[in-house]
Amino acid sequence: MELEEMRASWEVLNQKVEKQRILTDKMIDKMTQEKYKNNLRKVALPEYIGTLICYFGAAYLIINFSKIDGLVFQIFGILSVLLLFTLPVISLKSVRAMKNIKIHSGSYADAIQDYANRKIRFQKLQKLNVALGLFFLIILIPTLGSISGKDINNIPNFWTLIFPIVTGFFIVFSYWVLKHYNRALKDGEEILSALKD
Amino acid sequence: MDRKKDFINIIKTNEGLIFKVAGLYTNSDEDRDDLVQEIVYQLWKSFDTFNEQSKLSTWMYRVALNTAIFQLNKTKRTISTIPIDKGDFGLVDDLEKAEEERIKQLYEQIQKLNLLEKGIVLLYLEGKSHEEIATITGLSISNVGTRLSRIREKMKTEIHKTR
Repeated sequence: MELEEMRASWEVLNQKVEKQRILTDKMIDKMTQEKYKNNLRKVALPEYIGTLICYFGAAYLIINFSKIDGLVFQIFGILSVLLLFTLPVISLKSVRAMKNIKIHSGSYADAIQDYANRKIRFQKLQKLNVALGLFFLIILIPTLGSISGKDINNIPNFWTLIFPIVTGFFIVFSYWVLKHYNRALKDGEEILSALKD
Repeated sequence: MDRKKDFINIIKTNEGLIFKVAGLYTNSDEDRDDLVQEIVYQLWKSFDTFNEQSKLSTWMYRVALNTAIFQLNKTKRTISTIPIDKGDFGLVDDLEKAEEERIKQLYEQIQKLNLLEKGIVLLYLEGKSHEEIATITGLSISNVGTRLSRIREKMKTEIHKTR
């Protein structure tokens, strides 16, 4: 269908749409209020629950730090605490990167550019979060083992079988996740390059 | 209170515009309804800053299109609060079979365009002048012309491909 033909089809659609009256005074009035509450709910729940869980985890590790034996596991413990404080911050930052947007002031082209830039920033922060998250999981296992008094070296096949399998799984999983983020990043970059054409 | 009444009247008079934008940037009725709500909400938020001297439709298109852009990633997470009676509204309902088919084709073709082209085509189909399209999109008038020519070419190529 060529552009001029599209215009004719659009006109048919227009005539139908213009005649329709769906929104009532009450609905419009509600829409100006309900969405606001909704937006608050969306920000509050998942992000803050996740942050709380991480901070509880960090508190647990700090309280039980004296039970961790050996310098390597103690370093793992410190790194785990640091990550438990850092991960939610990155997560909240990446979510906020898609908020506080200028819908009313800029033009459509500005909005597209802003959207693409935010999308790229969001994907980069998510990539960082996934990488750090996986690293965290790997160092957390021996740390928790040490706190509960289990010597990992005594677990049969831990270093020869369990650890390589778990690490391998995480590497494959992170590769798969990062591939998804890379694709999304490429989308953002394509949007920007289409604007510059 | 009068301000709210004015706003409600404006929305009711121009609801077609909101539904058309929402329909083009979403793939399901649910997402479309969410976007309609978000657009109305954003229009209300910016209603105080709306300059009466600038054209009403220019302001509405700008806010509606910008909202549609930023809603792209959010649709899955949004909770729909105000049910919109779908029985009363459907972009392709109540149309003859042939017309319905053409509208579907039209939507499919627009969906293939990139974000900027999609906005330009929508405004073109709405009968906006190059000048108005330029004001809403933030492009120069000559750039709007160039982009429209390119879109025309792109569509011709698509037609040849499908034949």
